[in-house]
Amino acid sequence: MKKWLGIALASIMVFALAACGGNNGNNQASPSASSSPSASSESPSASSDPNESGAEKLQPEPGASLVIWEDENQRAFVETIAKEFEEKYGVPVKMEKVAPPEQVTKLTTDGPAGLAADVVVFPSDQIGRAATAGLILPNDVYEEETKNSSLENAVNAVTFDGVLYGYPYTVETYALIYNKKLIPEAPKSFEEVIEFAKTFNDPKNNKYAMMWELQQFYYDFGFLATTGGYMFGDNGTNKDDIGLNNEGAVKGGQFLQRLHKELLPIKTGDVNYDIKKGLFTGGTLAMDINGPWALTDYRNAGIDIGVAPLPTIDGNKFVSFSGVKAYYVNANTKYPNASKLFAHYISSKEAQLKNFEMNGILPANKEVAEDPKVKSDEVTIAFLEQFANSVPMPAIPEMGSVWNPIIAAITEIWDEGKDVKASLDKAVNQIKEGIASGQQ
Amino acid sequence: MKQHRTTATILSVLVQGLGQIYNGQRLKGIVLLLIEALGLVYLVPRLGEAFWGLATLGETTQKFVKVNNSSQLVKGDHSIFLMLNGLIVVFVLIVFLVIYVLNIQDAYKTGLLRDRGEKPKSFRQSYENATGRYFPYLMLALPALGVLFFTIMPIIFTILLAFTNYSAPDHIPPAKLVDWVGFKTFKDLLFLKSWSHTFFGVLFWTIVWAVVATVTTYFGGVLVALLIEQQGIRFKKLWRTIFILPYAVPQLISLLIMKNLFNGQFGPINQYFKAFGLDGLPWLTDPFWAKVTVIVVNMWLGIPVSMVLILGVLTAIPKDLYEAAEVDGASSFQKFRIITMPFILFATAPVLIMQFAGNINNFNVIFLLTNGGPIKGDYQFAGATDLLVTWLYKLTLDNSKFNVASAIGIVIFLMIASFSIWNFRRSRSFKEEDMIQ
Repeated sequence: MKKWLGIALASIMVFALAACGGNNGNNQASPSASSSPSASSESPSASSDPNESGAEKLQPEPGASLVIWEDENQRAFVETIAKEFEEKYGVPVKMEKVAPPEQVTKLTTDGPAGLAADVVVFPSDQIGRAATAGLILPNDVYEEETKNSSLENAVNAVTFDGVLYGYPYTVETYALIYNKKLIPEAPKSFEEVIEFAKTFNDPKNNKYAMMWELQQFYYDFGFLATTGGYMFGDNGTNKDDIGLNNEGAVKGGQFLQRLHKELLPIKTGDVNYDIKKGLFTGGTLAMDINGPWALTDYRNAGIDIGVAPLPTIDGNKFVSFSGVKAYYVNANTKYPNASKLFAHYISSKEAQLKNFEMNGILPANKEVAEDPKVKSDEVTIAFLEQFANSVPMPAIPEMGSVWNPIIAAITEIWDEGKDVKASLDKAVNQIKEGIASGQQ
Repeated sequence: MKQHRTTATILSVLVQGLGQIYNGQRLKGIVLLLIEALGLVYLVPRLGEAFWGLATLGETTQKFVKVNNSSQLVKGDHSIFLMLNGLIVVFVLIVFLVIYVLNIQDAYKTGLLRDRGEKPKSFRQSYENATGRYFPYLMLALPALGVLFFTIMPIIFTILLAFTNYSAPDHIPPAKLVDWVGFKTFKDLLFLKSWSHTFFGVLFWTIVWAVVATVTTYFGGVLVALLIEQQGIRFKKLWRTIFILPYAVPQLISLLIMKNLFNGQFGPINQYFKAFGLDGLPWLTDPFWAKVTVIVVNMWLGIPVSMVLILGVLTAIPKDLYEAAEVDGASSFQKFRIITMPFILFATAPVLIMQFAGNINNFNVIFLLTNGGPIKGDYQFAGATDLLVTWLYKLTLDNSKFNVASAIGIVIFLMIASFSIWNFRRSRSFKEEDMIQ
C-alpha cells in the first residue's frame, strides 16, 4: 500500500512539473510581438519636442549604445565623431574593424542572430544583396535631407527598388594617375596615350606607358561603355536587358585589341595590383588607372603624382564605374532610432568635411564638394570630374553572374585576339544562363 | 512467477522510474523520474514548434512597419534558425528517448532477477557497478554528448541544406523564406546544362588531379629516396636535410611566392627564359599550362613527405634478400622490381590511399597558386584548375549558393569514403595484417 502511495505521489510531481514548464514555454513565444509596441512608445516624445533645432526628429532610446563596423583606415575619423556624438546625445559608440566589402556577408549571418553592428558600411554594389535579404532599414526619417544634400549619382547608388537605404558619405571612382616626371602633362585622349607609348614603351626594361588591372572588369568596363555599351538597361536595374554585346561594346572591344598591340602587350593574367604598384613606385610605369585608395602608397614612395580625368576615346568622355560608400542601419538593431540618428550625424556636412581633411575622401555632399578646401585640391577635383562622367555599378543581385563570363570574354579578346562580336555574344549568353539558373 | 518483470516493464513504459520503484530500487527510480521530469519540462513546450519549423521552414517573412515616420522591423520566421532549433530539439528528444529505452530494459532485467528469487541490486551496488564495470560508458557519456551536438548535428544540418533552396539571390532569410526542394539540387547539378557542364568538368579535373598528383609525388619520393640510399652516395644526411626543406617551409608562403615566380610577364622564371632568347611559357594564364604548373609545384611540396616515409621503409628491408638476389645473378632493375618495389608498396599502401583521398581535397595548392586558375566563362563560378572543394569555397563565400555547395560537399564525401573503404579492404596489407612477405 505504502509503495503505491509513493508511486502515485511521484507521478503527480512529474506531471505537475511538466505542466508548469509548459506555461513557461508559451510565454516565450510572444517577445517578438512586444518589440514594436515599445518602439512606438518612444516616438511620441520626439514629435512633442518642438524646441529642438528642427534637425533632431529622432530621440535615441534610453540606455542605447551603438557599434559601427568600418575600415581600419577610417578609425581616427570615426572615433572623433563618436566622441562628439556621445557628448551631444549621451550615446556611446564603439568601432569594430570589418572591411566594407565583407560586411554584407557578415551581416547575413550575424544580423538576424543579433550579433552585428548597429551601423554598417559597404560599397553601393552590395546594396541589392543587403536589401533583398532584408538586412537594412530604409533611410526614411532623413530621406528628404539626404536627397537634397547629396550628389545625384550618390543618391541613385544607395537607392534600391525605389527605396532609399543609405546615408552616403564618399564617392569613389578611378581616374588617371600619372608620374609627372615621366609625362609632365596628362593626355586628353587615348590617341595621345598611344603616341606616347610608341616612344616610351620598353617591355624588356619593364617600361610601360599605361597599365590597369586587366582582370578586373571594374576597369575594363569603361572601354566597352565609352563607345556605347552598357551593363544592365534602365539605369542598371533591368536584368533582361544586357548591353555588353551591342554595337558600341563591340567597337570598344576592337579598340581594346588595338590597345593590346600598341599600348600594353601583356596577357591579362600577368597584371595584378601588386606588380602594377611595384612598377609605378619604381618609376617605370608612366600612367596608372586607379582609385584614390592608391594615392597614399604612391606619395609615400616619393613619386610626383598628378591626377586627371581619364582620356577620351573617339571624342567620348571615358565612362568609369563609380561606387558610393554609405552608412546603413542594421535592420536587427536593438536601437533603431539611435542608429539612424548616428548614421545621419556621421554623414552630415560637417562630418564629411572633417573626413576629407583627415583622409582625403571624395565627399558625397554637394555643399562639401563646393567648399574651397575641397576645390583647391587638384586631386579631388580630378576625381570629382571623372565621377560626373561615371555610372554607378549595378546593384541588382544578378550582378554576381556577370563577372566570370565577361572576364573570360575580355581575356579571349585581349590575349588571343578572337573575334570581338563572337566572344561578347558568348559571354552575354553565359550571363543569361547564369541568371536563369540562379533564379530557382 | 512472470508477474514481476511484466509489471515492472509496463510501469517503466508508462512513467520512467516507476518500474524501478516497484522493483524496490527506490533511489534509482526517483533519479530516473527526475530525469524524465527534466526532459518533459524542456521538450513539451518546444516539440510542436520544432516539428512545425522543420516541416515548413517558416511561413511568414519579416516586415518593415512605419511607426511615426520611422521604419521599424517586425520579425518574421527565419527559416534557417527554425531548422537549426528544430534539429537541436530533435537531438535532445533522441537523447531522452535513449535514456527511456535503457530504463525499460533495466526494469525488465531487475524484474527477471526478482522472478528468479534473487534480490534486486541496492543503490549502493548499482552505483559501484556503474563506476566499476561500466566505468568506460559513464566516462564516455559526456564526450559522446559533445560529439553529438558539436560534430554530428552540424553535419546533419549541412546535409539537410542540400535538400533546400537556400541560396542567393531569391532565398536568403530573413527577408525571404527557404523551402524544401528534395533532390532538385542534385538533379540540377547532374542534368541542368549550366550546372552539369561545370560539375562534370570540375569533377573530371579533380579525379585527374588526384591521380596524377598522388602518383607523381609518390614515385618522385621513391626515386629520391632510392637515390639517396645508393651505396656510393656520400653526405647522406646533408641530402636528406636539403630535400626535407620544402616541407619545412609553411605551404602558404611557398605557394604565394610561387605564384609570383610563375607570373608570365614579370616572374623570374620567364625572365630567365627570355634572357636565353626563348619565349616565356604562359604558366598560370593558359588552362593547360596552369594544370601542369599546379602538378609540378605540388610535386615540389609533396616529394619530401613521401621521401621521408620511404627512407624509413627502405631501412626495414632485410639485407639478405638482396644478397640472395646477387648470388642468383639479378640485375639492379630486377632487384628493384622484385624486392624493393613490392615491399615499399605493401608497407605504404594505406598511406597511398590516404594521400589520394587527401589530394581530392587539396585546397591549399590550387587556391593559393591559381585561385582556380584561368577563368572559364562557360563554367558557373569556376575556373580551369578548380577542384570540387575550391569550387565549393567560391560558391559559399563569393556567391552564397549554399544549397549547391552542400550538395557538392556530399558528393565529395561519398566519393572519398566509398573509394577509401573499398580500396583499403582490397589492399593486401588489410587482408594479411601479420604477414609481410
